[in-house]
Amino acid sequence: MTELTCPFRGLLAEYAAGSLTDPDRDRLRRHLADCPYCPAELATWRAIAAAAPPEQRAPEPAALVRAVLTQSAFTPPPLAATHRATHPVRQLRYLASLVLAEARLIRLAVPIASALVLALGVGMVLLASSSLGAEAARTAGGDLLALIAPVVAAVGVAGAYRSRLDPAAELVAATPTSGRLLLLVRLTLVLGYDLLLALAASAVLAVTVGPGAGLTADLRLLISGWLGPMALLCSLSLLLAVRFGPDLALGATVGLWTARVLAGGEFIRDALPARLIVEAWSTNAVVLAVSVAIGIAALVAAGRSGPFTGEPGRRWRATHPV
Amino acid sequence: MARAEPGGDAALLRAVAAGDSTALARLYQRHADALFGYLLRLAGDRMTAEEILQDTMLAVWRSADRFEGRSKVSTWLFGIARRQAHNRLRGRVRPEPVYEPLDEPDRAAGPDELAIAAAGGTPVAMAIDRLPDHHREVVALVFVAGLPLADVAEVLAIPVGTVKSRLHHARAALAAALVAQGVSND
Repeated sequence: MTELTCPFRGLLAEYAAGSLTDPDRDRLRRHLADCPYCPAELATWRAIAAAAPPEQRAPEPAALVRAVLTQSAFTPPPLAATHRATHPVRQLRYLASLVLAEARLIRLAVPIASALVLALGVGMVLLASSSLGAEAARTAGGDLLALIAPVVAAVGVAGAYRSRLDPAAELVAATPTSGRLLLLVRLTLVLGYDLLLALAASAVLAVTVGPGAGLTADLRLLISGWLGPMALLCSLSLLLAVRFGPDLALGATVGLWTARVLAGGEFIRDALPARLIVEAWSTNAVVLAVSVAIGIAALVAAGRSGPFTGEPGRRWRATHPV
Repeated sequence: MARAEPGGDAALLRAVAAGDSTALARLYQRHADALFGYLLRLAGDRMTAEEILQDTMLAVWRSADRFEGRSKVSTWLFGIARRQAHNRLRGRVRPEPVYEPLDEPDRAAGPDELAIAAAGGTPVAMAIDRLPDHHREVVALVFVAGLPLADVAEVLAIPVGTVKSRLHHARAALAAALVAQGVSND
């Protein structure tokens, strides 16, 4: 055995620090009597242990606790503590209050208009079905829903991006919750509402215009008519709103959708570009994955880049640091 | 939370979580010297160490209900102290250690001893203050806080082997000072 291979060598520092467990300490004590190397090494650890503790006394408990309580009363808890509600019930309650608060900030006109437009479309199909016959009405219903639902949702998303001119923007900038989280909550509200509307419209059409291939098959066909385009258009709308502001997003969204409608129309039905456009606006895995990617990119970019940083972010605050 | 014997650290912490400031004082009293010594070694000056100590006890006061008993209370405390120290010391250039002069240096001492005595520490103590942060931190946790190596590893979130190797590197760096103080096994 040499100095470096002595199995007790690893215990010497803790022994000098007094933090060994009783059995280890007793074993080491017996070993020290025999070992030619350990006592010398122990002396260096003891010298370090003696020199390490500073000479100064810790503050008195009473004074320290008084200072802590005063500080606790006069300084707000750090953001992380308010955000990180660890208990699941507290998390749910926090989320619920966020959703409620955001719901109150959404302009009432938006959901009402969305519902009216979809109801109008469904109503038209129902009226026409008596004169057109079941088969034609079913096709017309599907087409109409596929045309209306995406653009209604995308316009809602463009409007959901909060402009700096929004009366609530100043208040939001002063809250500890991040702008990005608020945007996510608001999007969930708007998209969830539009999704429900479109689902309801599909259900109404599937039930009333008559089952072609069975109720669920009809419903699936109707939904696949609008789901992919809705996802793609909404994510594009969000990205544009984050980058350039809601007005431009609104215009671009409507423009894009018009191009899609024209490409699918009677005039240029068989041209290759038109077929490509229609293909890009359909419900399949690629379109849905691209939509999710665009949506994530938009959320990451929210409040960070672009001439229009409307979403209150870190750089822009309602209050200035004193 | 782990079951705790009455009067133990965990029981005190539970009382702190319930808003008992006396329990906070008692918990602090138990660990005051270890905590403050550790922070003093980390910060290098008393004023900063006191500020970090206050930050630490404030964090304990506010987050005592989040202690889940997965580690010892002492490990948890030093983990908080370390985080607070990093928050406050981040990006700071460490000041040269300044010692308060002792009351009356020995008149018979030679110039070297006089200089060291005036600085208020032994050669080893001064050399510890000059160690790189990650070495000084391990020395402080082992010898000032008195934590077992396994607990040090938990506080620093590194393997025990790394703690041991840092400790031995620190000792190697202190070799010259140890020789100057007449302690050496080489």
